[in-house]
Amino acid sequence: MTDQAINQTAPAAKAKREFFSPLTLKKLRRFRAIRRGYVSFLILAGLLLFSLFAELFINNRALLVKYEGKLYFPTYSDVYVGTEFGLDYQYETNYRDLQAKFAAEGGDNFVIMPLVPWNAYEQDFIEGSFPPYPPSMEREHYLGTDAIGRDVLARLVYGFRVAMTFAITTVAVSMTIGVIFGCMMGYYGGWVDLVGQRLIEIMTVVPFLYIIMVVANILQPSVWVLALIYILFGWMASTWYMRSMTYKERARDYVMAAKSIGVSNRRIIISHILPNTMVMIVTMVPFFMVAAIGALTSLDYLGFGVKPPTPSLGELLKQGKAHLDSPWIVSSAIAATTLILVLVQFIGEAIREAFDPKRYTKYE
Amino acid sequence: MTDTILSVRNLCTEFTVESGTVRVLDGVSFDVPKGKTLGIVGESGCGKSVTAASIMRLLPQPHGKIVSGEILYDGKNLATLSKEDMYKVRGDKISMIFQEPMTALNPVHTVGRQICEVYELHRPDYDKDKRKQKAIRMLEKVGIPEPAKRFDEYPHQLSGGMRQRVMIAIALACEPDILIADEPTTALDVTIQAQILDLMKKLQDDNGMSIIFITHDLGVVAEMCDEVVVMYAGRAAEQADVFKLFENPSHPYTHGLLSSIPKLDSQPRTQLPTIPGSVPSLLNMPSGCRFQNRCDFATDQCQQTPEQTLIASDHKVFCWQWQTLNQKRAEA
Repeated sequence: MTDQAINQTAPAAKAKREFFSPLTLKKLRRFRAIRRGYVSFLILAGLLLFSLFAELFINNRALLVKYEGKLYFPTYSDVYVGTEFGLDYQYETNYRDLQAKFAAEGGDNFVIMPLVPWNAYEQDFIEGSFPPYPPSMEREHYLGTDAIGRDVLARLVYGFRVAMTFAITTVAVSMTIGVIFGCMMGYYGGWVDLVGQRLIEIMTVVPFLYIIMVVANILQPSVWVLALIYILFGWMASTWYMRSMTYKERARDYVMAAKSIGVSNRRIIISHILPNTMVMIVTMVPFFMVAAIGALTSLDYLGFGVKPPTPSLGELLKQGKAHLDSPWIVSSAIAATTLILVLVQFIGEAIREAFDPKRYTKYE
Repeated sequence: MTDTILSVRNLCTEFTVESGTVRVLDGVSFDVPKGKTLGIVGESGCGKSVTAASIMRLLPQPHGKIVSGEILYDGKNLATLSKEDMYKVRGDKISMIFQEPMTALNPVHTVGRQICEVYELHRPDYDKDKRKQKAIRMLEKVGIPEPAKRFDEYPHQLSGGMRQRVMIAIALACEPDILIADEPTTALDVTIQAQILDLMKKLQDDNGMSIIFITHDLGVVAEMCDEVVVMYAGRAAEQADVFKLFENPSHPYTHGLLSSIPKLDSQPRTQLPTIPGSVPSLLNMPSGCRFQNRCDFATDQCQQTPEQTLIASDHKVFCWQWQTLNQKRAEA
């Protein structure tokens, strides 16, 4: 075959080439075929996307204001003070009142509010009664308010966003650290392994909850401080798996073959061993996420979590327990928490099933 | 003797095991002739593969270590070369193919990618298209049909013989000076074995590379090799031109090996000749010649480590008693 002939056949082969290997594609197909997991995945992805743009749906800022022939989009803009719209105050416009005012005046001016015209922080007070207020279509608290008058639905959605951010960040970072450590221990063995094992054992027996409590007593932690502590004491979870998987892979012939063509150790770990152990990492991710969400929720519930008034599922659960006579709080909080955990768990199970090599080979 | 491309001098390799340190190679010396094939033969555990691993510096870490000796190649001593310099030698100057083609390819990468990786490592000036073109050319060279299509296939889609061809393509991608083949055909069936051997010979003619061929199959040695090193218990016993070795084995061990091959004219249903006794444990080697406890010609002199004796310009033996052996054979 001449160079030219090779050049001609090469693009044809290229067209067929997919980004994922056929085996991975097979696994993805299998995942899609597991209805429960796939639907859970779609729902969770939808919820996550929705929560990322929650400002457009659940917000006390208007989507669109038309005033004196000019259009305003306050959602993501700077603060518009009241005087901007002919009101008599120098703080942020109350768009709900503005909407009522424009409606009463008639004329060209109007305000379009989001579906839920409350954000997660503002308190609603109805004259002559005290929160929590039960669900009300009229005041547009579709799931009622919590003990100090904040909209439950808004708190749930923003709390979900906080929890997911927390879970995704901590799992991503702690898995990365865990994978690096596990690979190094498994690949290099010897004293690297020995020191690593002892370090991890020590880290594992440090009581995570007490550390959090101590930190929470010194400073009211933000989500990021909590995430940092969680990563600091949670990265060990995946190291053991990675270590043993790498140990196993390292002894295989292809590693030796790769070395024999001059591949460096680092490159062997990254481009030869990791793709072979990746399956397990992927399988573990959802379960670690369940753990992370659970941990954040329970810390918030115990009062050692994110500093108030950050919206959080656990804090809502705590309020619900304190106000059992207002059942809408506890029921929404429990329903939302359960839904999220169940969805992630279903996804995890489906991934595990789809990636299970035993499904390809069966012996009688 | 022809030009030497690689020369192993007094190589000693040790392994640390629980019961102590084991000297697996104890002063192995041989020369690899340029453009020819050197066979290394010997029974299991005699150190053939460790020799290969020592040359490639691919001893299992942290147990294996080259303690002394030299591996001279291109004016450098591979035994003491830095890790980074060794990366440059492997795959570019010296390559290796393995016994098990089924497991020596990474299951998650395409065949093409694995060949291209060699170019990525050793030919940084090649761009992606050039690498691909070269890789397809290599696949074609090792006799893989439809190379452009195979380029994108995964190892599990290929048969054992095809995989060994791919291994050879990877090993020869950069046209190395030396190819180390560690029992490359043991895992293949006999017809494929012949094809692979033919292929290796053909590629050797094309590239002019040297091959170090490790095997325990004397038939394959006779087929493939120009020169042979016979190893016994971690030492070289004899190195000779392949014809000389078969004609005139001058080490009692070589002699024993050759006479234990069943022959067509031997009496049917009689016991095959064997070498009496067994290899001493590496932990407990006798001083002096390591073959003495199984040797018919052993004398007191054999308590000393035998020195290299040149019988002819292309025939070296490590034995005190080679003349006695030759005499006896002449009488017989």
